[in-house]
Parts: sequence; C-alpha cells; structure tokens
Amino acid sequence: MNLRQMIRGIAGVAKRPATIVRPADDLGSRWDTFLEKHLPTPLGKEVAEADVHVREGRFQRSLSLMAGASSVLAGLEVSYEHYKGSYGQKVMWTPVVLSGAMTGAGVWGFFNKWAAKTVLRWVSVLTLIDSLVGFLFHVRGIARKPGGWRLPVANIVMGPPIFAPLLFGVSAYLGLIASFLRPEEAPEYIDITPGRLRGIRRFFFGRRVRWTQDIREGRFQKHLAVATILSAFFSGFEALYSHYKNNFRYKAQWSPVIIAPLLMLAAALSIRSPRAARTVLPIMSLAAIVDGGVGFFYHARGVSRRPGGSKTLLYNVLYGPPLFAPLLFAACGVLGLLACLMRRERR
Amino acid sequence: MSSTSSGRDSVDRRPYDAKSGAPLPQREQPGYYPGFSTLGQKRFWDEATRQKVLDRVHNVPPIRFFLPAEVALLETVVAHLLPQDDRMPSRRIPIVPTIDKRLHEGRTPGYRFAKMPPDGDAYRIGLSAIEHMAKKSYGRAFGELTWREQDELLKSIHDAKPKPGAESVWEKMPIHRFWALLMQDCVEVYYAHPWAWDEIGFGGPAYPRGYMRLEHGEPEPWEVDERRYEWEASRDSVSDPSENEIASHDGHPPAGQGGTH
Amino acid sequence: MQSIDFPMHRHAPGEEVDYVIIGVGSAGGVLLQRLARAGFKVLGMEAGPFWDTERDWVSDEAGSHQLYWEDKRVTGGKNPLALGANNCGKGVGGGSVHWAAFTPRFHPSDFEVYTRDGVGVDWPMSYWDLKPYYELLELEMPVAGPAYYPWGDPHGYAFGPHPMGGVGNTLVRGCTNLGIGVSIGGPVAILSGSRGNRPHCIYRGFCIQGCKVGAKASTLVTHVPDALENGAEIRDRCMVSRIHHDTRSNRVTGISYIDRDGKECFQKAKAVIVSGYAIETPRLLLNSACAGYENGLANSSGTVGKYLMAQIGNVILGRFDEPVRMYKAPPAHALTEEFYETDPKRDFARGFAIQTVGPLPIAFAKQMMVARGNWGWGMRRIMMDYNHWSSFGLLGEILPWADNRVTLSHETDQFGLKVADVSFNLHENDEKLREFGRNKTEEVMRAAGAKEVVQEARFAHLVGAARMGSDPTSSVVDCYGRTHDIANLFVCDGSILPTQGSANPGLTIQALAARTADYLISQGTVIFNSDRRDMTPPPVRPELSPPGTHGVGVPRVANLASR
Repeated sequence: MNLRQMIRGIAGVAKRPATIVRPADDLGSRWDTFLEKHLPTPLGKEVAEADVHVREGRFQRSLSLMAGASSVLAGLEVSYEHYKGSYGQKVMWTPVVLSGAMTGAGVWGFFNKWAAKTVLRWVSVLTLIDSLVGFLFHVRGIARKPGGWRLPVANIVMGPPIFAPLLFGVSAYLGLIASFLRPEEAPEYIDITPGRLRGIRRFFFGRRVRWTQDIREGRFQKHLAVATILSAFFSGFEALYSHYKNNFRYKAQWSPVIIAPLLMLAAALSIRSPRAARTVLPIMSLAAIVDGGVGFFYHARGVSRRPGGSKTLLYNVLYGPPLFAPLLFAACGVLGLLACLMRRERR
Repeated sequence: MSSTSSGRDSVDRRPYDAKSGAPLPQREQPGYYPGFSTLGQKRFWDEATRQKVLDRVHNVPPIRFFLPAEVALLETVVAHLLPQDDRMPSRRIPIVPTIDKRLHEGRTPGYRFAKMPPDGDAYRIGLSAIEHMAKKSYGRAFGELTWREQDELLKSIHDAKPKPGAESVWEKMPIHRFWALLMQDCVEVYYAHPWAWDEIGFGGPAYPRGYMRLEHGEPEPWEVDERRYEWEASRDSVSDPSENEIASHDGHPPAGQGGTH
Repeated sequence: MQSIDFPMHRHAPGEEVDYVIIGVGSAGGVLLQRLARAGFKVLGMEAGPFWDTERDWVSDEAGSHQLYWEDKRVTGGKNPLALGANNCGKGVGGGSVHWAAFTPRFHPSDFEVYTRDGVGVDWPMSYWDLKPYYELLELEMPVAGPAYYPWGDPHGYAFGPHPMGGVGNTLVRGCTNLGIGVSIGGPVAILSGSRGNRPHCIYRGFCIQGCKVGAKASTLVTHVPDALENGAEIRDRCMVSRIHHDTRSNRVTGISYIDRDGKECFQKAKAVIVSGYAIETPRLLLNSACAGYENGLANSSGTVGKYLMAQIGNVILGRFDEPVRMYKAPPAHALTEEFYETDPKRDFARGFAIQTVGPLPIAFAKQMMVARGNWGWGMRRIMMDYNHWSSFGLLGEILPWADNRVTLSHETDQFGLKVADVSFNLHENDEKLREFGRNKTEEVMRAAGAKEVVQEARFAHLVGAARMGSDPTSSVVDCYGRTHDIANLFVCDGSILPTQGSANPGLTIQALAARTADYLISQGTVIFNSDRRDMTPPPVRPELSPPGTHGVGVPRVANLASR
C-alpha cells in the first residue's frame, strides 16, 4: 500500500487522483522536480505530491491531525506542570480541558471537513484566548512571588513558566490554520474571487482578497515564518531558564539555547528572502528537530537517573527534566519546515 | 576584639600547609569559597533581616556583665575554643562581647538543666575553676601557660577528665554541661556572622529571594563553587585530632540541644 | 507576605465572654476560628506577641530566638529534655510558627497500643473518629504530599509534592537502595501552589525560623485571620496567671492575667479552654490550685503533669564526597514510615520514622560538637565541610510513663509565678527502640553513599501531661477535652494525647481541636448553664473551614482503604 492509499484509507475517501501542477511563477516547482527525480519511486512521487498539497494549502486533514497530536504533548506537559502547582486555582484546569478538546477536534477535523472548518476553528480560538489569559496569569504569578518583578531572574526561574502558555497556544494556532485550509482531495485550482462577503467582513475588509484566501491556497509562508520565530522564542526561552536553573550541568543543555535564536534568525531572513526560506530555514528547522529528539532522549535518561530511578518513577517523571519540553522544541522545527514548503503571500 | 593573649610562647599558631610545612598566610576569608560574599548580596535581603545582620557586623556590644579580669581570661579561652589565627586581625569575629550581651540581658535558651546554676553564675564559677586548675597543675595563671598547656587544660574539660585543682566545682556543676555551654555560645556567635557564612559556603539570608538550584549541591548564580586546600592545625594545638574524641557521660555522649525537627 | 491589618473586635472591659482560650497556638488558633465562625464570643489569650511577619521576623538563624518560649524553666531527670527552640513557641501561632511542618497522620494502631501491644494506654477514641478532621485540616493548611501515601490508613494529598533538595535526594537514594518505601515531597504543610494571598514555597530552608513567605502553614496565617474576621479577639503579650474556680458550683468563672503593661486583670468567661501545650498547660493547672483542688485544678486523678512524652529525635549525619548544601529546600520534604508499626521480630514495641532535616550552620555546629566531639581547629575544619553533609532525623515513639512529668519548681519567673520543672527518663523499651532506629537510620545514610556517618542523640516534640481517657481516675480530660472534674473547663492541645506514635504531632493536635470545636458548637449553651455531659459524637462541619479551603487542589485518590 502506498502513502496515498494509506492516507485515503484512513480518511475513508477515495476521490480523484491528484495531478501535480507546477505553476511557472513558483520557486517550489523546482523543488518538486528535484524531489521527484532524486527520491526513489514510488516514494518520490508521494513526497512530491504531499509537497504540492502543502504548497497549495490542501493539507487540512494532516494539519488537523498534527494540531491534535501536538495538543496531546502540550496537554501532558501542562497537566503535570499544573499538578506541581497543585491546581491551587480553578483556572489552572482550563488548558487541561482545552488540550483534550483540541485533540478531539483535530482528529475529528482529520475525518470531517465540516468539523475542521467549524469545531476545530472555534476550539482553536478558545485555546488561543486561554493561552493569552494563561500568559497574563503567569505574569501575575511571578509578580506575586516574594520580591515580584524586582527579582526577575529568581522569580522567572522559580515562578510559573512565563511563556509556557503561549507555547501551548502554538498547537491552537496550527488548528486555526488547518481550519482555513482545503482538504487534500480538493481540486488544485480554485476561484480566487472572494466568496460571498458578509456584511461585517465587507465593512472591515472591503472587497479585497481575504487573508483566508491566501491560506486556502497555501500562500502563507511569511506568516508561518513569523509563527516559527515566536514559537522558537518561547521554547528557547523556556530551555534557557530551566537549564540555567540546573546550572548547565551538561554541555548539551546549551544546544537549544543556541539553536533557538539561529532558527529565529533563519525564519526572519525567510520573511525577506524566498531563497532563505529554501536554504537556511530548512537547515535550522532540521537542526531543531534533531536537537529536540536528542533532548527527549537525554531528558528520559535524566528521569531514570534520578534518586530512586524506576522505583519512584511517577515522582521522577513529574519532577525530573520535563520529558515533553524537547519535543515541543522539535515542534518549532516542524513549523519552520512547514514554512519552507509554503508558497509566499500575494502581498 | 583583641587577638589572643598567650603567655610565653611565640610559636606561630597559624595552620600550616601539610606538604611544605610552611604556615599558611592569614586570609581575609579562610575556607574553600574564595570570593564568596553573603554581605555582597544584602540588597536582596528583606529590610528587617538586613538591619539585624548589619547590626551584628557593625555594632559590637560593650562589655557589661564580665569583670575586666574575667574578660581577659574568657578571651584566651575562646581563642582556643574557636581559634581565628588563620584570619587577618581585622577580619576576626568578636565572640566574647556577644556572650556578655546575652548574660547581661539574662536571656536563656528557654530552660536550665536542673544541676546547673544560672548561665552567668556558671561562667563565673567555670572561669575561676580554670584558673585553679592552671595554678594546681602548672603552678601558673592560665594566661601565663604556653599555648599547648592551655589547649591541654581545656581539652581535659572537653574530655570530662579535668586536670586537678577544681574538684569541688565539678562535683556541683556537671563538667560536660559547662563545656557544652561554652562551646554552644561560641558557635552561636561565630556562625551567626556573615564572614563565617562566607567561610563555610552557607548562602545566608534568603528572603525575598529564595533558592533555585536545590539539587546536586549546585551553587546559586551568586554563590561560588568549592575550591579546597589542605591544611593542618598548628602543631601546638590538640583540638584537631585525626580521630574523633567524644567525651562519654555515663557511658553515653550527652544529648544535643538544637532544634532541627 | 500576608499582613493582617483589618480591625480586631475588642470586648468591653468587664464583659463576660463565652469562651476564653489560653494560648493561641496550633490548637488555640483552630478553636478560636471555629468558635468565632459559629457565632460564639471568643477571646484568645497569648503570652507572646501578635506577629507582623514582615517587620518582626528575620531570615536568620541566630536572630529568630524570640519565636521560642525562652522564659525560665528547669529540666532534669536521667535524660533531660532541651526545651525552648526545640519544641516551644511563643506568640500568636505558637509552635506552628517554627515547626518544620511535617504533617503525617497517626496510624489507626496508635489509638489502641495497649490492646495491640500491651504497652502505654488506649485512646478514648479511634482513628476513624478523627479521620474526618485529618481530611479537613489537610485541606485547610493545606498539606502537600504524594497522591498516594501508603502507610497507616492509605490516603492522598490535594496539594502536589515538593521538589527535592539535597537531603531529600539522599534519603530517597538510601531508602530505595535498601528496598525501603519512601514518601517524596511531603506530607508537609507548605504550599506547593499559591493559595489566596499566600505565595508558594521559595525553597529557602528557614522554616524553623518562621516562614516570612507565608507558604508554610501556621495558625497565624491559616486560621487566625478568619477568626478575627468573625469577631474573635486576641489579647497578645498577656500572661495568664491563674484560672478562677467557684467551689460552691464547682465551675470555673474566669481567668487572671498580667497584661502587657504588667497590670493584673480579671476576665470573666462562661467556659475556659487551656491550650498552652504540654508544659504551660499543666503548669497553669497546677498554679491554679484552690480549695477543693489543692493539688492543682482538675487534678483529682493526680495525673496533671504526668505522662509527658517527647519523641526520640536523634539526628544522623553523613558526609558525602559531592556537595549537598543542605540549607536549601525546606528541612521537611521526604520521610519513610516503613518501621512505624510494632514488628514481632524486634525486641521492643512500637516503631519509628526516618525524616529529612536540614540544620543551618549554628544547629549543625552544635550537632558536630556532640556527634564528633569537635572543638577548636576541629570545629573550624568540620564547619568548612558543612556543604558536604546531609542529615536525617529519627522520630521514635516514647511510651507514656508516670515519672516523666511536669511539676512546679520553687523558683519563680518574671511575673512571680512558679516555673515548670520538667523531669524525663527513658525506659527500657524506649532505649531499645532508640538503638534499633539509630542503627537503621545510619544504614540508610550509608546506603545513600555517605563515607562518614555520625549521630547526635536528642528529643523532638512534646505531648502528654494532661491526658485524655475514659477513666476519671487515670486521666485529666475526656475524649472532647473536657476535664473530668469541672464541666466548663477544657484542655485542648498536645497535652491531652495519651500516646503519640512516631508521627509529628502538629496535624493531630489541630485535628483534635477541630473536633473539640465541633463538639462545643453542638452543645450550644448547655456547657454554660449545666454540668450535664452529653457524649454524643458531633456531626463534622466542613462549612466551618476558613474560606478558600474547599474546591481547589487536585482530585484525591479517595479513601482507598476503608475500615
């Protein structure tokens, strides 16, 4: 069974085969040709096809699934982090509940186009709002520690993790994007005239081409590059202070602290230069993904090496190095990789 | 705080380097944490704590309880119980004035052992016993003895096998309790001082800023790593034996009195 | 952090109150809060000050002595107890201000040691009578700890466990290497998440010097604020000198006290509750001797002052090659109760716990003076190694013995009141238990990797000396704390414990206070007007908890073991 059949099998759809379309204006077309030539058949064709789907914004199903999967990680992380904070305030339950909802909506969105456009979208919006509210609560939590913001270093390190809620928002962001995409089986050409404009929208945006239209067509590379910068910043900052808390006992603890700004830089360059988006961005993204994987291994080893080891496993998982944090760092790399596969915005 | 008066010997009482045999230079800050300064962190302390600790450093209380002769004798004794010859004279921690302050104010730890007189009386009786022991055993006043003789006389109290001369005192006042009273008062003053915290690598006051590196003995960003050096106590001293010597009392070492749990 | 700055209700001079509570400590604070919330006119008398924690407390070992009861006392016997900083508080919050805040429950077996092992005495209640109050107080403080706590009656905690410091890691490593179960990160009454205006712990290790952060529970921050909001009055720096008794009616009528200006005053009350802890409670009862009670008030049994208990509290210290820095993290953060129960294979009854402790430099120096005989250059040398040492506390049960007692000395204090004379002796079972426990703790320390292990013998905690029981001839109070002799005189604090297990007593003292409060509330005004003794158990009243108690924290693994 090849990749396409697998996807269709899971999705329960078997529609018309996709045709590879190479608009002449697109740098990405060369990339596809390259892939098709140099990867062994039939894999080359599948990968190239997936790439086309991404470039054309026809990957709603897979992105829904990705949003759901990353919500599982974020949900696990937030539930044990908040357990360490004893769920001392009721609002601390909201991200736990919402991450569950996000996972459900992501999976549903994978199977169902309607769910992807509605349920996933609104759960994602709710989660994004919650992550902003959480950020404010964490800022307040630091302010309310003894010394407050007059002791920024000690209280950022020992207080509620300041950017963790925003990092949690990244999976909601993926969900939101997915809700605007087209499913994989959608036709490759679409009418770019704006759809029926409703009153309020027309009032705010006039008859311009809506940003959602760009997303529908996979034209949001710059947009995604910005998202990569932000998430790399949040995740890299978390790595910085938690490794600082640990006095950088191991040299490897410097790696995310170094890679994160480089990834941010690569993504920033990509906003200006399409070339950077095809060169440094994938390299740094891959570096972040590999580093996240290695970090996951080291964190798992760190947990097993704590006093008591497997005999006090539950405690060691909770209070040892955070298992899923490196995976969330890797997710920033995935975001960057996605960005380099996109087409650029019209504007 | 005067440096110790010791009668007739002029032996160097500084600790020495075990390999070269040369005395170690006096330091501003002995111990294994060079450059560590708790006082340097005082702006991170709360106001009440800062006042309390700075008062301790800057305001040495006047002598009000002891008589001048008692002060001289107690200074010599304390210089043996907690020697500071490795410290530069300007960086020695005054101990006797703070003991005097406690006795003057009549402050107790909240109890008195049934067989012990009140603390002030215990000091007076004990100090005169030390003089009597010096006279009887060496034929000289305590202050006239050599450093080693003084150390040995005090060690006989530590061991609860006192040199002759004050039997009647020790019949009434348990000798191990007197020793504990002296030692506890000394460590209570010395290790309350920020210079002593720097020496042993203790972080000092920690509010409102607490600690972040709780495990593996990692230093806080403002603490320093340990840098050990080997040293031996002065050859004339008997207070740092290679084997521990715990005085037994009725077959048991005496119970401790600190509050830790 | 927390400041208590709202106005306090003041009762008019000469106004009779419903209850006067003598001593606003662990038990007094809880009683005051419950009774005020239920609408009674309550007055708390406290010999020490009402703390303004930001101004009065310091983050400093030597500078915190004002937290401890440092008035004159005499201690003797074969094994004299150290008092003061070791176990006695002064000021609103009492001992809960400077406890390390370990809060394990007593085990069901602790309530029936005579039935099970033929030693000590049974309680006039069972564990199951007290259990609802353990659950309430664990939420009110609240207690942080593991989701599943396996010893005694297994249960879980609503607040998550704390991170480990160097000492905790030592204990976990030692125990797991020997296959001994260990509880990590609690149970300890220190916030692991913020609650209201109380921030969570900052891991600074100054618990015993009073928690300026407000993260560690003391009744000063957990119950007193709610008591004052509900109309209770606390008269601080007032030393109660005697309880007045009317011979004709055989009822107490009020108290005399010396106020902060040194003036002697009288306060009328419908009922009196003594909550002065195991030394001041019997001292006050003995000092209040009067016609009809020549040997001390409510002392017709002769038990007032007897059966005083401390716990074996040896400190075992181990030196490690790598640094530990044991001054970081709260002293209390891991323990094992694996050896708590009687083991027929051992030649003594009852057992012990092993807990983390974290002596600061002065306490450590005093321990080394005893444990290694250090002085002079030896003391300087060992102190330079302070950061390499870790320390465990052995907590062993000492049985109640009549000769361990509080009597009145011929000496008097600054108020002219006779001071307490405390006499303490270990008996054979206690000595055997101490020896075994000490060896076991040293074994754990070695298993953790310590190269040198030494120990200091000492004692921890104080309970007993006005014990409860069903038999008026061998106990002072009944199971609700009411004296057998006088219908409107109560004792409620650690002194009513008949036996003590090897758990830290703080939680049990507060749970007993909440139960007594429920009883008093159920009795309404009957206590004020009649000598009738209704022994019906009161209903549990979770609605009397301070605000913010319920509905937060993690869902708990509910009662896994039922009766």
